[in-house]
Amino acid sequence: MTYLLATGWTGDGKDGLASGDGRQQWWWLAADDETGDRRWVFIPSPFDLLRKRQYCQNLVVTAKMPVRMVESPAPASSSGANPGQTSLQPCSLLSVGQTFSGTQNVSSPQKEEAWRVNVRIQGCDLNHGYVCGTMEALNVPMADTPVVTFWEGEIVDTKNYTFFTNKWKATSEVDIDHWTKFPSFSPLLSQVEVDGGKSLDLSNYQYIFMRWKEQYFVNVGADCGLTIAGFYYVCFSCVDGSINGYYYDPNSSPFQKLELKTTNEGRSGFSFSSYELQ
Amino acid sequence: MPGSASSTHRPEGLIERLRSAAADGGEAKLKDLRELKNQIIGNRTKKLSYIKLGAVPFVVSILSSAPYTSDSLLIQCAATIGSFACGVDSGVKAVLDAGAFPHLINLLSHSNEKVVDAGARALKMIYQSKVAPKYDFFQEKNMEFLISLLDKNNENLTGLGASIITHSCQTNDEQKILGDAGTLKRLINLLKGTTSQRDASLESFATVIKENPQVILEFVGPENGRTWGTLIELTKDRYPRTRLLACMCLILIRNAVPSYLQSVGIRTKLILILLELIDDSGQVGDEALFTLSSFIADEEGLQKLAFEANTIVKLCDHMQKELLQPKRLEGMLMILANLCSNLECCRSALLQSPKTINIITDALSHAAVDVCVAACICLKNISRSVKYLSAGNFMTEAVILPLVRLLHDTSTSVQVAALCTISNLVIAFTTHKSIFVQNGGVKHLVELSKSMDSRVRVNAVRALRNLMFLVDSRCKEGIFLELRALSLTSLISGNPIVTPRDTSACVQEQALGLICNLVNGPVDSIEYVFTEDALLLNAVGRQVWSSSKPEVLIQGMYVLCNVASGKEFQKEAVMCQILPESSKNDTQSIMVTMLQSDVAQLRTAAVWTIVNLTIPTGAGALARVVKLRNAGIVSQLKNMANDPCLDVKLRVRTALGQSMIFGDFST
Repeated sequence: MTYLLATGWTGDGKDGLASGDGRQQWWWLAADDETGDRRWVFIPSPFDLLRKRQYCQNLVVTAKMPVRMVESPAPASSSGANPGQTSLQPCSLLSVGQTFSGTQNVSSPQKEEAWRVNVRIQGCDLNHGYVCGTMEALNVPMADTPVVTFWEGEIVDTKNYTFFTNKWKATSEVDIDHWTKFPSFSPLLSQVEVDGGKSLDLSNYQYIFMRWKEQYFVNVGADCGLTIAGFYYVCFSCVDGSINGYYYDPNSSPFQKLELKTTNEGRSGFSFSSYELQ
Repeated sequence: MPGSASSTHRPEGLIERLRSAAADGGEAKLKDLRELKNQIIGNRTKKLSYIKLGAVPFVVSILSSAPYTSDSLLIQCAATIGSFACGVDSGVKAVLDAGAFPHLINLLSHSNEKVVDAGARALKMIYQSKVAPKYDFFQEKNMEFLISLLDKNNENLTGLGASIITHSCQTNDEQKILGDAGTLKRLINLLKGTTSQRDASLESFATVIKENPQVILEFVGPENGRTWGTLIELTKDRYPRTRLLACMCLILIRNAVPSYLQSVGIRTKLILILLELIDDSGQVGDEALFTLSSFIADEEGLQKLAFEANTIVKLCDHMQKELLQPKRLEGMLMILANLCSNLECCRSALLQSPKTINIITDALSHAAVDVCVAACICLKNISRSVKYLSAGNFMTEAVILPLVRLLHDTSTSVQVAALCTISNLVIAFTTHKSIFVQNGGVKHLVELSKSMDSRVRVNAVRALRNLMFLVDSRCKEGIFLELRALSLTSLISGNPIVTPRDTSACVQEQALGLICNLVNGPVDSIEYVFTEDALLLNAVGRQVWSSSKPEVLIQGMYVLCNVASGKEFQKEAVMCQILPESSKNDTQSIMVTMLQSDVAQLRTAAVWTIVNLTIPTGAGALARVVKLRNAGIVSQLKNMANDPCLDVKLRVRTALGQSMIFGDFST
């Protein structure tokens, strides 16, 4: 079912309807352009124009009437997800068990340095835009052993997450500065600058953009002298599984680059494994 | 001469007087009957004592001489019978065995309303017991009688009608016939009555609509719109049981008609009401737990609302404050399980409370089966958190040992629940898997993989598959030794005599997934499928040629793919598996069939296998490319250059690119 976009509709929050429990609920009467059916559509937040657009995109708003919540037949949407977008297509190189190795450039103005890095994917849930795994840094000078961290990733699918981070001290300017470092991002830049890329359909794009945030140290204490306060902007190539990333932490050297390729653990080809959560 | 006071009031004395009154056929002394009633009211011990002494038949016999008995005596008789039946199943049995039922029914048409009331109350007591006779709703006369009860302007009669429905309505057909007879409308009308009338009607209403969308859909509609409003009002009633029953009815309607109860406001209110009712230490509290559990069970949105209403904090407080009765503990565990089924925030919140986690873990060893199962499910759902699995939170002896013990439980449902939980925990991701292996876990799983129960078998093999995921070489060797190639082969091949075809596919899928994980990792892992004259590899190949189930084929193809990433002779062995025998030149390679599949995952697995077989650096790569071309596989790949699945398209491009290195096969 599709809806037509209304013109001249502003919605300024003055038409809120009391729900009976002191909180305001918002119901708008909208018409389906195909069938002409009128239905009440629930909007969770009247003060967020962007979100209103998500719900009311393609809606013809014909009237605003008080309605008793108890009689409402319209489906409510509580997750805030963008109803128009679909999840990204699965990529077998970004699946559980897959390993990648390469380097992270941790150079500072005082010293040039790079760590060898191995990454393993442990979880991947495209419906929720979630991926996670471990990162192992070798030849870290202050550590006796490789340092392993567990990270969780947000997949930029415009459904669950957009290109705007909105947390971790990353402003939209910081976001754009980092994303533009990936050549594969340039066709997307103009739309991202407008709305964070919300209206983009990335389901057939050959690159997957993510943010990886390390959550804890697996095998060393938090006092090991290393920091996991920042996060990585990541670009994954579905073609060959190569990964490029940039670490962002306002208190660390900027643009530390992460470069990884798939590893085959001595094999002549690609190998796969899986588990099934109950 | 009057006897001593003690002998006058002794039970035997009272029985004797009643018996002589009954035998005489004359009227028993009203006073004696009243005394009996007063002794037994609210006194279970006295009731059981008098039942044992055989008092009930004498009382009933007074009732049976009804035309000759005064109204006052009938009322006392009925009240006494009702008291015997109240809350005591053996009392109900004694009353029914004495033939009281038809006489009580006759009282309902008495001219004296007080006699009617007494008869109705007594019958209501009977119908509150599970040993009451089942009411046959399919007999027209019975249905007419029931409807007449509901139509009466008498609380005891309508209450009796409601009790009969609550007691005897058990099947969908019974729900339908009651729905068609208009009972729901009548029960809703009774909601305007007294508290006990309301509660009885709500309970009946819930019984008729429970898990029967058809009945609900036929009832709810614009003409019954006020029902919804009435029920919502009753959620604010001052009596806890009424609030609970109203919530239950709303939730049952919503379960059948999801477009109802969509408002976030009402949903949150219901959750808060149920949370408040949980504080009741009696049956209301227990039922509120299960009602809340079923409300949030299948919907992430509701789980989120319940989380935001601080359900976890509240339940943790309850669980830590006192030792809970089994039913309450089970209810709380099920709510926590449902909260953690989808939401990572809930799992995190729960894991912040080590005391609660200990209570959950301890519950794995509870004497009550239902509590054990609930604890398993709770732990299983918490362990859906890859983050915490990776941290090794669950791989401790405190968790693993009781779970391993439960694998031997006599109850299959406990075994299955424990297997599902173990299945998640052994994914572990790190060397923590050894705790499970060291405690004999593998041996038990292997044993259970041969169970006659298909649920046990599938879950055991799944657990083995997950255990094998990313396991270190030493552990892998230990698991393989325990499993043996032969038993793995029989799991892949399935045994149609032992297992039906559909569950065989589930086991095969898991077994092939297990082998896939077995041959993944360090390249020497591939050798496992070559032991005993390539027993496993040949079994996998046979399955790939013979199975029709996509899920089985996907796993089988990935096994071949993994083997094809090995040494030259291993790649050649895969070629032998996928190409038809030389004597059957007209047989299409199984690879072409896979590449033409509608299932994208299967096409992906097949293309990856070809990618591995055509890696240009291999000495035999050219020869393999020629064979694949001759088998029509390369031209099939060319047809897939614009496959709708991006993953397939990219791998096809890689495979074709590799093939082209050896020359263009376009002619």
